[in-house]
Amino acid sequence: MKKLIFSFYFLFLLLFSLFSYLFIDLNLIYLKSIYTGYAFSNRGVVSVIYCLFILLFFLFYFYFIKLIKNKNLSVKEIIFLITATSIILFFSYPAMLSYDIFNYIATAKVTFFYNENPYLIMPIDFKGDPLLLFTHAANKTALYGPFWIFLTGIPYLLGFGNFILTTFSFKLFSTAFYILSCLLSYKLTKNKLSLVLISLNPLILIESLVSAHNDIAMMFFALLALYFLLNSEQVKSYLLLLLSFLIKFATIFLLPVFILFKKIKDNQKFPFLFLAMFLIFLLSSLREEIYPWYAIWFLVFAFLSPKNKLILYISLAFSFSLLFRYVPYMYFGTHFGNTPLIKTSVTFIFPLATLIYLFIKRSIKFGR
Amino acid sequence: MRKILLLVTFLLIFFNLFVFSVNAQSSYVLPYPSSMPGSSFYRLHLLEELILKYWYYGDFGQFTYSLKESDKYLVEAKTLFEYKQYLLGYKALEKSNKYFLNTMPNLLSAREHGKDIKDKIVILSEASKKHQEELVILEKELPQNFVWSPEKAASQNLPISKLILESIKLREKYEKTNI
Repeated sequence: MKKLIFSFYFLFLLLFSLFSYLFIDLNLIYLKSIYTGYAFSNRGVVSVIYCLFILLFFLFYFYFIKLIKNKNLSVKEIIFLITATSIILFFSYPAMLSYDIFNYIATAKVTFFYNENPYLIMPIDFKGDPLLLFTHAANKTALYGPFWIFLTGIPYLLGFGNFILTTFSFKLFSTAFYILSCLLSYKLTKNKLSLVLISLNPLILIESLVSAHNDIAMMFFALLALYFLLNSEQVKSYLLLLLSFLIKFATIFLLPVFILFKKIKDNQKFPFLFLAMFLIFLLSSLREEIYPWYAIWFLVFAFLSPKNKLILYISLAFSFSLLFRYVPYMYFGTHFGNTPLIKTSVTFIFPLATLIYLFIKRSIKFGR
Repeated sequence: MRKILLLVTFLLIFFNLFVFSVNAQSSYVLPYPSSMPGSSFYRLHLLEELILKYWYYGDFGQFTYSLKESDKYLVEAKTLFEYKQYLLGYKALEKSNKYFLNTMPNLLSAREHGKDIKDKIVILSEASKKHQEELVILEKELPQNFVWSPEKAASQNLPISKLILESIKLREKYEKTNI
């Protein structure tokens, strides 16, 4: 039965990867031969299929969690699941839900091809560059930290100037950080449940392996910093935290927790790290908006300490609801009108409902 | 009488048009004056200038940096001349020219590296026009030469008018460069 479900899971991932290619941009000249435009002319159908995919994704996820609770999943099997998932999703189309990968490539090209400072010169300054046809934030200077820009030199150079090769080189880069983060989380906790919660979470998988967001790279360095902090290697720890911060500035919120780490009780260390990143996640709405991939910041720490039920359920609820944030735009094709309101409602209603459910459950328990 | 009125009206309209055409030559905006020599912040500005030279790397970066510094020193020269600080103003204008001279070679280098420089040429042309507007005003207001006599050194002749005319020529050359 388990093997059959594993097979269905891999088939499901394969179909999801194929589904992602329905979203190819008309202006993406490099993939013109497989452009269908289906996602843009059949918005209703695509939105429903996407919702079904997400529901199924979570069904599989909960099944794997159940296997762990029933002590029916070995570490070897989990590693097999992680490897197979990584391979299948690696071949998915990366700009299905977000165009950020093209921004990464464009910034890397400004830095390593045009030899210009990406914090001063925008991709749009290079008239005639084919990347401008489909890069969405071409009119912005570099949005990320210098360490990220330095790191992107690796996948950019491995692309040898070929766009498709460069794109998948960036995906491979993100996949590597995902796998390293999974292994590190297991090293930190020695807990199979934590490993499954992190490595097979649909949001983490979609945002890291499909969309190839750099948040997973930032979290890898934060986890490594935590690893050294737990081993009382303060210099290495702070240096790695700095590197994490220099990828994307969110992990600066971990600094107060790192400073007070020794004073925090052992069973509260991970929850405090979770709270710090959850706070910056909520505050991100003040800057721009809460993007689904921002959830990676707190999910990783939430799943390191699955004993805290409140944190666990709220995190699961957010990872579920945030993936539906894509649906209003997918359906309406616009970021205006009712889209922002629906997106906000979708983001918070489910976690709020979970909170209320937990509160009622607790009241009943204490009422008895 | 009627003919005289018509002639006066014609002349007024003609010169007004002329005045408008001068003011509307360039939409390029020069920066506010920054700290001036003698101010304690001036050294910090010089340090910033040195650091920014390396921060603005690359052809486009160096072009932007050179034009930015040229603008800054032109405004500095203008302000210093207004306060009759001729020696300092003269030196500032020399610096502005030095940076302005550096703009075009960076654009040519960018073109050699396969970068489209059309937009930057337009920016440089607009900046040239604006610089010329300011320099023409200065040329009219300032003395042709100024002899600066420091207390414990030999006096020095500053050919202000000559420098301004050279500055205008340089800007004219870059404005009209057809790439």
